Amino acid sequence: MSAVELRARPSTRFFRSELWLIFGRRRNWVGMAVLAAVPVLLIIAVKVSPPGGGGGPDFVNQITQNGVFAALAALTLELPLFLPVAVASISADSIAGEANLGTLRYLLAVPVDRVRLLVVKFAAIAVFALAATLLVAGVGALLGLAVFGGGPLVTLSGTTLPFWAGVGRLVLVCGYLTVCLTAMGAIGMFVSTLTEQPIGATIATLVLTVGSEILDAIPQLAVIHRYLPTHYWLAYTDLLRDPVSYDQVVPGLWSATAYILIFGAAAWARFAGRDVTS
Amino acid sequence: MSVLTSRPVLRWALPAGLVAVVLGGGALVTTMQASADVRLPPRSAAQLLVDVQTARLEGVSGTVVERADLGLIALPPGIGGGAAGSSGIDLASLISGSNTMRVWYSGKDKARVALIRSNGESDIVHNGTDTWLWNSRDNTATHYQESDKDARPHPEAAPSGLPADLPKTPQEAADRVLAALDPTTVVTTDSNALVAKHKAYQLVLRPRDTASLVAEVRIAIDGDAHVPIQLQVFAKGDPNKAAFEIGFTQVSFKRPDDGVFAFNPPPGAKVTEGSDKAGADKAGAPGGTRELKPGNVTKPAGPAAEPKSTVIGKGWTAVLVTRLPQDANAPRDDRAAAMQGLLGRLPQVHGAFGTGRVLSAKLFTVLLLDDGRVLVGAVNQDALISAASNPAAALK
Repeated sequence: MSAVELRARPSTRFFRSELWLIFGRRRNWVGMAVLAAVPVLLIIAVKVSPPGGGGGPDFVNQITQNGVFAALAALTLELPLFLPVAVASISADSIAGEANLGTLRYLLAVPVDRVRLLVVKFAAIAVFALAATLLVAGVGALLGLAVFGGGPLVTLSGTTLPFWAGVGRLVLVCGYLTVCLTAMGAIGMFVSTLTEQPIGATIATLVLTVGSEILDAIPQLAVIHRYLPTHYWLAYTDLLRDPVSYDQVVPGLWSATAYILIFGAAAWARFAGRDVTS
Repeated sequence: MSVLTSRPVLRWALPAGLVAVVLGGGALVTTMQASADVRLPPRSAAQLLVDVQTARLEGVSGTVVERADLGLIALPPGIGGGAAGSSGIDLASLISGSNTMRVWYSGKDKARVALIRSNGESDIVHNGTDTWLWNSRDNTATHYQESDKDARPHPEAAPSGLPADLPKTPQEAADRVLAALDPTTVVTTDSNALVAKHKAYQLVLRPRDTASLVAEVRIAIDGDAHVPIQLQVFAKGDPNKAAFEIGFTQVSFKRPDDGVFAFNPPPGAKVTEGSDKAGADKAGAPGGTRELKPGNVTKPAGPAAEPKSTVIGKGWTAVLVTRLPQDANAPRDDRAAAMQGLLGRLPQVHGAFGTGRVLSAKLFTVLLLDDGRVLVGAVNQDALISAASNPAAALK
């Protein structure tokens, strides 16, 4: 077991330690508990006073028919703010958090290649985006099924899908939202390379996200809408139509890919040439 | 690597290059589409009309986008959508903004239109003798059954007993349409266009009357299927951007799968059976946007004055004069009150006809008189005022 042999074999140790940093921190547990609380509160609210046709979002009305809809309703409620807050805080913490604690220079002294550091950090952000989405959907679906029972899934088009096909649609929705949130995480990681203050980076990332959502709601700015990072987020509802519409989902995936590439490259441009002093 | 180490600024070339590729790539696609080969065998306007009539349509599936930019202020959501809750179409979005529909068509007895909202959908599914209206927002399905004796005969199934003056051939029909249009309209063709990635002919209708606010109407006709796939209306003074357009953004002329026309109301949905007449009525006027035709104005309930309507002028500059149903004027709720507040902000005009308020849009002008009369036309404000002074507009 010489050192040379160790170098030659790509090790997952750094990635595993990164995941441990994210999922082992108590503050992140609290954050995830908040994410999981929304479907719980929603299901309690619907159980106590069932929505009487019309009014709330379309998904909420369906919860009493099929518990799986609790997952979709919870995702819809958390998508504008809670999920972005979670991903923004994790991604903004990726570089700036290490710099703030003074551990970044030790990490680079290990030595870890800077490109590899960025790739591992980004991969961990993507895993967290998936975990956060699945947590909300999973808690919603399981608790919803336990309280209201399962059944065929009613698509937005009014047709019914068998139970497992409905679960498949939910998995597709989670996958799409994960890609969208990961693109936001790439922006957060770039902001994180600019500063040593993780809280500042979190706020900046959130301002960008919420700002994008606000701009997207102004009809006079329709020209720039398709370039906004959050523009295609709501396209996940197209996955619940019958037949599935890809008119918005496919551009949404391209948009997310473009944001990941551009901000990943920007993070590299900033971080690889930066003097790390802390 | 050594260059990048000595001059770290050079690293920014990568993200900058990616931005350029993404934005430039999008622009390149647009340019390529604009300069794409749209050569088609030349066709005259009359030939195009014949093509459209003789087209045998197997089936259609695609996405239709309706866009309106009438130069009106965008209304806050909820105002102007009189029947938005029940039908899903917001009237406000029809006059400013856009609507997306998915359509499927397979022969005469199978058709489906789905109006797409960001988290919902309204469908009209017609299959054989069944017609379903579905609205995901209030989870309702309405069923209309067409009984066999009421079934409308197919146009080609009733060849006998037609009046003698009906056109015998598509060519004759096309000639007559052109002849009827000729006094008011110049009908020409323009260079071919690419619509929804399909090569298309362009038929252009231009009003001869220069007082009309409509500069031209363009109809794109698919080069292979000979079906109109886009309609654009251009307002005077804005030749680059259509004030109103409806067209396919994606279309296929293959017969769609029969599965898309199958509709069974989902468990838990409120199902109502509608009479066939009401069904035809509702399907014909989604969202209460029923066109007010002269002599076909719905009577208001109650002892209000009987509304009458008349048309002043002809062709493209015709002005419709009608009277609003009185019950629609009475403020019933917050929305009506908000509507009244908006109307109060419109510019006021005075004249021999009394006083009124003017709503000017790119393609039409509306004159709302204080006595309840309404004048609408594709003309400017002055033309409407002179029409209002016309004795025929008194509706007495």
